[in-house]
Amino acid sequence: MRRNLLAGVSVVMMLGVAPTQAASPPNALVIGTTLSTITSLDPALTNSRTQSEVLSNLYDNLVEVTPQDINKIQPMLAEKWELSDDKRTITMTLRKGVTFASGNPLTAEDAAWTIQRVIKIGGVGASDFALWGFTSQNIDGLVQAPDPQTLVIKLPQAVSTDLVLYSLTSSSLGILDKQTVSKQEKDGDFGQNWLKSNGAGSGPFKLTQWRPNDVPLCDARAEYWRGAPPMRRVVMRHIPESGNLRLQLEASDVDIGQYMASGDLEALQAKGIAIDPGPGLGYYYIAMNTQDPDLAKPLVRQAFQHILDWKPLASTTMKFNGFPWQSIIPKGMPGAPNGEPTGYEYNPQRAKELLAQAGYPNGLKKTLYPSGGPLLTMAVALQASAKAAGVDFEVVPGEHTPDFRSRKYEVLVGNSGSRLPDPYGTLVQYAYNPDNRDEAKLGGYYLWRTALDAPELTKLVDQTKTETDPGKRQALFEKIDQDFKALNPPLIVFFQRTDPYAIRKGVSGYVGHPTWTTRWFNVKKS
Amino acid sequence: MATVTMVGGSARLAGARRLSGKLLSVAITLAGLLLLTFLMGRLLPADPVLAVTGSEVDKATYDRVYQQLGLDLPIWQQFLSYVKNVLTGNLGSSLTTGRPVVDDLLTVFPATLELAIVAILVGTFVGVPLGVVAAANRGGLMDHVARIIGLAGHSIPIFWLGLIALLVFYSKLQWVAASGRIDILNEGLVTPITGLMLVDTLLQGEWDIFRDALSHIILPGALLGYYSVAYISRMTRSFMLEQLSQEYIIAARAKGMSRRQMIWNHAFKNIRVQLLTVLALTFGGLIDGAVLIETVFGWPGLGQYLTRGLTMNDMNVVMGSVMLTGIVFLIVNIVSDRLYRILDPRTR
Repeated sequence: MRRNLLAGVSVVMMLGVAPTQAASPPNALVIGTTLSTITSLDPALTNSRTQSEVLSNLYDNLVEVTPQDINKIQPMLAEKWELSDDKRTITMTLRKGVTFASGNPLTAEDAAWTIQRVIKIGGVGASDFALWGFTSQNIDGLVQAPDPQTLVIKLPQAVSTDLVLYSLTSSSLGILDKQTVSKQEKDGDFGQNWLKSNGAGSGPFKLTQWRPNDVPLCDARAEYWRGAPPMRRVVMRHIPESGNLRLQLEASDVDIGQYMASGDLEALQAKGIAIDPGPGLGYYYIAMNTQDPDLAKPLVRQAFQHILDWKPLASTTMKFNGFPWQSIIPKGMPGAPNGEPTGYEYNPQRAKELLAQAGYPNGLKKTLYPSGGPLLTMAVALQASAKAAGVDFEVVPGEHTPDFRSRKYEVLVGNSGSRLPDPYGTLVQYAYNPDNRDEAKLGGYYLWRTALDAPELTKLVDQTKTETDPGKRQALFEKIDQDFKALNPPLIVFFQRTDPYAIRKGVSGYVGHPTWTTRWFNVKKS
Repeated sequence: MATVTMVGGSARLAGARRLSGKLLSVAITLAGLLLLTFLMGRLLPADPVLAVTGSEVDKATYDRVYQQLGLDLPIWQQFLSYVKNVLTGNLGSSLTTGRPVVDDLLTVFPATLELAIVAILVGTFVGVPLGVVAAANRGGLMDHVARIIGLAGHSIPIFWLGLIALLVFYSKLQWVAASGRIDILNEGLVTPITGLMLVDTLLQGEWDIFRDALSHIILPGALLGYYSVAYISRMTRSFMLEQLSQEYIIAARAKGMSRRQMIWNHAFKNIRVQLLTVLALTFGGLIDGAVLIETVFGWPGLGQYLTRGLTMNDMNVVMGSVMLTGIVFLIVNIVSDRLYRILDPRTR
């Protein structure tokens, strides 16, 4: 009987033993990632890294910035552009001969309609472009296509035109095929429902298959205006377990690994697999809701600057996910501080003193939310190191970004990302609050989420929007950074984020973009 | 003659009464299940209006959707409309995938079902013989070995076991595949008929893709099955011991029957019904217990779907998944009830 059992098991094993060809196909790119953040493939509703990556390959933008030189605006669908004398009108000339995946030609009408649509829908994708004063009431009059090759954008406010052009590089402004999407409209939804799982772009790839949380499959378009991409097919596989992804990268079954744990990245690095650090324009922070009476006290917030033991984190879990940073201006950008970050040293004794001064000699008890799954580690680390300072956190796991956006939290750890390659991008998230009332519902601004009213700071940030002289802008940035810190801000930055990509040997041309518009067009495999 | 007719008639009547009784009990169980999921949906800290509109919405839209969803009606009316929706196949839309929950479930459930089937087969063909051997060699070496094997499977964290198994069978030996249901090269080549990859590929004669699907399912399925081996083998052992101490066994031995015949043809036959209960319960547990395995192996099943729905407060997903799991349990119980009648003449 035992023999029969053994025989049976061997038969089953032999059936399955096809020495699995350990190689992702030579002309297909296999990306192992986490797909749980993709809720829709509509550019107007996009906000996450993976979404942005997929969309940047299904859709083209009017202009682009490359990861190697993110300050330079390069032509893409727009061949050239001119500014009016008063700098309030941008006239773009679109290149000819571009077609959508459907076969329809791309014209300025598609571009105008796309921009109008994004503003009218008013979802998360609109947050960058709406900064320049566009509303659903004025957008139709301000963005127009007088002829198929010309797009005219009139600015409702005096704004640095560079900033406007930067915002046009975002994946949420990928140009849609107006004819195709309009046919799929239902109940005035601008085709949002259909675009959840379909593509309608002019990019180098088209969407062949989409199974939510399982696999997007994109095939190359030979008729792409820049030429056919070397990769015929790109597949993203949902491999949420970092250990599994590592084994597949080592076996060359997967080419690119995303969202991996530091331990696995270290092991891969030791095996000679390149880790692209993927610098990001965002930070890891502790946020405090100043509607909570305890957290409204500046001394309490100051105490919180000393309750996270971040140095050990930097060399362990944060090793590949960020580097120590304490300013709201990204490293290397105008106005950013030089040298090692100081000010937020881990000092539980000092924190205790500050809390006692504020009237809490016995410490504090608060609930701590991680903004999402990946932040749980940091939340737990914070909980542990804050204990010594007398701050008792109860960590509640889950996806708390909606709570953060609606001011329903006490303390939260999160990370941010900006798609604008200019300090204004992060400043407008962290140091800008035009209307602090609950009814204003400005959940797109982190400072609003913390309910801190900062009119002076807000005014300064607005100035950087219109000021065009680089020297003056830099001075403004520096002042904002200092004034922000002086508030004992409810947003304490500890790390600037990096989004590491593991790239298998033999794959070239894959570069993680700081604004998440990572393009596959140049990827080659040897 | 008259007596025979009367017996025949009352037998049919008894049969009809039994059937309607059965149907009634199923209907009551189903109603209870729906009530449970409905209450759960109302008690979850998730605003159903925001699930439809998104978190930033003005009061006018909020009120409109609130009315559209019928949330202003009394709770019993809401329950009735929920039941009506369920019976017409409308389980709402998912916040996280943007698709109707029914469509999602039709994609993820077959994946978990297939995994659970492979797991229960492994669990049965390893656990049952293990239990029988253990009982037949009570106190002996095989008994101890069986206990260790079973305990190991139950105690070792399954995600750790999963990663080690991947290291051995995928990395080193290259016998199996690592994640997903089939290779990317084979994506879209098989038309889903049942949704069970192994069955569909066989039905369409795609032998290569069948082997590919098998190499993807064998590791997660075997591990999931191994996890239940402890329970199955212990229960088998205890049922067998009970039988082996009975008088008829001693009598059979005395009559000169071989040991093998005694164990398998007599004792084992008598525990089949009890074993069926154990296997049915285990199978039901496998349907919703596969989350960790699904995560480690990137298996696009119900476990991942439900867990994601829970963490994202996606109410429709949670309600729909729980209801489906409940219905599967119900069906498993009904099927095993029918099988009792076939296997055990005493219940007929």
